[in-house]
Amino acid sequence: MHIPENYLSPQTCAVMYAAAAPAWVISARRIRAELPKEKIPMMGVAAAFSFLGMMFNVPLPGGTTGHAVGGTLIAMLLGPYASCIAVSVALLLQALLFGDGGILSFGANCFNMAFVLPFAGYFFTTMIVKLLDKKQHSDWRQASLRCRLIGGAIGSYIGINAAAFCAAVEFGIQPMLFRDSAGNALYCPYGLNISIPAMMVGHLTIFGLAEVLFTVLIYAFVAKAAPDMSVAPAAEKKTKSNRAVQILLAVLIVATPIGLLAEGTAWGEWGTDEIAATGAGYTPAGMKGGFEWKALLPDYSFEGLPDAAGYILSAVIGVALLIIFFKLLSGLGKKAKTA
Amino acid sequence: MNLQLMKILSRLLETEAGRDEDRKLPVLPWVRILLAVLTIFLCALSRNAVFTYGVLAVELLHLSLLTTGQVGRVMKRLALPVLFTALITLPAVFLGSPATCLTVTLKVTESVLVLLLMNEDLSWKEITGAFGALHFPDLFVLVLDQTVRFLVLLGRYSDEILEAVTLRMVGGLQERISKEDEGRRLSHHARQHNFGGILGTTFLRARRMSAASYEAMECRGFDGTYRTYRKRTFHWYDGAYLGIGAVLIILFAFCERAMGK
Repeated sequence: MHIPENYLSPQTCAVMYAAAAPAWVISARRIRAELPKEKIPMMGVAAAFSFLGMMFNVPLPGGTTGHAVGGTLIAMLLGPYASCIAVSVALLLQALLFGDGGILSFGANCFNMAFVLPFAGYFFTTMIVKLLDKKQHSDWRQASLRCRLIGGAIGSYIGINAAAFCAAVEFGIQPMLFRDSAGNALYCPYGLNISIPAMMVGHLTIFGLAEVLFTVLIYAFVAKAAPDMSVAPAAEKKTKSNRAVQILLAVLIVATPIGLLAEGTAWGEWGTDEIAATGAGYTPAGMKGGFEWKALLPDYSFEGLPDAAGYILSAVIGVALLIIFFKLLSGLGKKAKTA
Repeated sequence: MNLQLMKILSRLLETEAGRDEDRKLPVLPWVRILLAVLTIFLCALSRNAVFTYGVLAVELLHLSLLTTGQVGRVMKRLALPVLFTALITLPAVFLGSPATCLTVTLKVTESVLVLLLMNEDLSWKEITGAFGALHFPDLFVLVLDQTVRFLVLLGRYSDEILEAVTLRMVGGLQERISKEDEGRRLSHHARQHNFGGILGTTFLRARRMSAASYEAMECRGFDGTYRTYRKRTFHWYDGAYLGIGAVLIILFAFCERAMGK
């Protein structure tokens, strides 16, 4: 679902940045007001889960791939506002360092995966939990684990499909709005009649299932092994719960090369040299001469290193940087409060 | 109070005072130092980006496992050398060799990060003790040990002198200084007019203190050799740490050979 560079027009990108900006601002304010300072490092861990989830590519028959995002998972653990910021930072790291997702299209990617997905997912999760909760607790987090897992499964499924639909619309309106004199699309060449079915088929089936499994399995693990990650303020000392989460992250890092088994490129993530062969018959002019960002570690690979080793190394760097970033943020937040 | 001087002193002391006994690394200090020096040495020699990135990834992972305070401290100290290196190698980008800027900056980041992480794991006493265990000349260890002690002691002493001089100047300069910036100007004038005197007094005091310190050490039986009285036996995790060093050397050789092909 990462929209690459030059698939969306600069005008669309500007609009999407404008749409995502209020989400960032409001989320940042709400986090500062509501989230305990001790929980901010947990946002780094949550962002790391999202980052790793997006590295596990899942194949779809037909040659395309997709991935889970984990936005609803983070929303269930730390709230939708924390999820918005955590996923945004993970997407920024992916775009800048690994070239996964464009810089100009960063606003669109954040709107879809960091705003629509977690908020829609969280809304439906809490709604389902409240419907299923026989004891009618005031806080949905006090409901039984079974209710929360069912709610999370349905909420995450709806969330990822809502995000995929938004991405499909963003792709599909490009040929309608931006054409050259010959009538060829300047950016994404596939209209809504193609982009919506193409994106939704995968996400309504396998990718949606991947998101459900990712959310449910990790939430269940955290609820059992590290319950203080979401409920009580997390302590910095190495308790067993911190250790359990660290072990889970380590396992996921080591398992990331599984994502390499899925061959093929995700729909809408082809390179400029691949798009003509996908059925468009031509390379849109806006893509040929568009903005290009030279990432440090493109496609999570290192020259001279086997793909699997490169994937693991990229996962280590990504996870470490995310955790460090949010720990630094937590430290800044503490200083601002005491000043 | 000279706030800037106190900030410098507090930085020297904060890594010692803030150290939690439970979080101390159980590995022998000399093993830790040896591994750090080996890592820096191999990274400096490496011509292969894979090795550099690999070591950087491990160091970043290590940093991410530290507490918020430690992460903040390390990143604050890392920022200046990295930014400085990036700035001075920036012309390479415009001269058609961007890889040079990146490589040099990465290696500096790595080297400084290794040292900062080592500093977080070990106290100053452990570091000087480790130099003794690694059979560095005793004079070297003595100078290192005394340097930090006297930095703190003389820093406090010179701060007290500066405060005394500032207070003595209040009456003489009052008519020349406006009320709004009185404190700042007083302190600034005190520094300007009395800097040489404060330095000279501190130097004389340092001479007297070092002589007295050495006489006291001689009375207690110090004969110039540094002995470690609290000896710890070599454990399996010390061996594991040395094993990491061996793995590093093998990886380095493998990466260099792969690049040679």
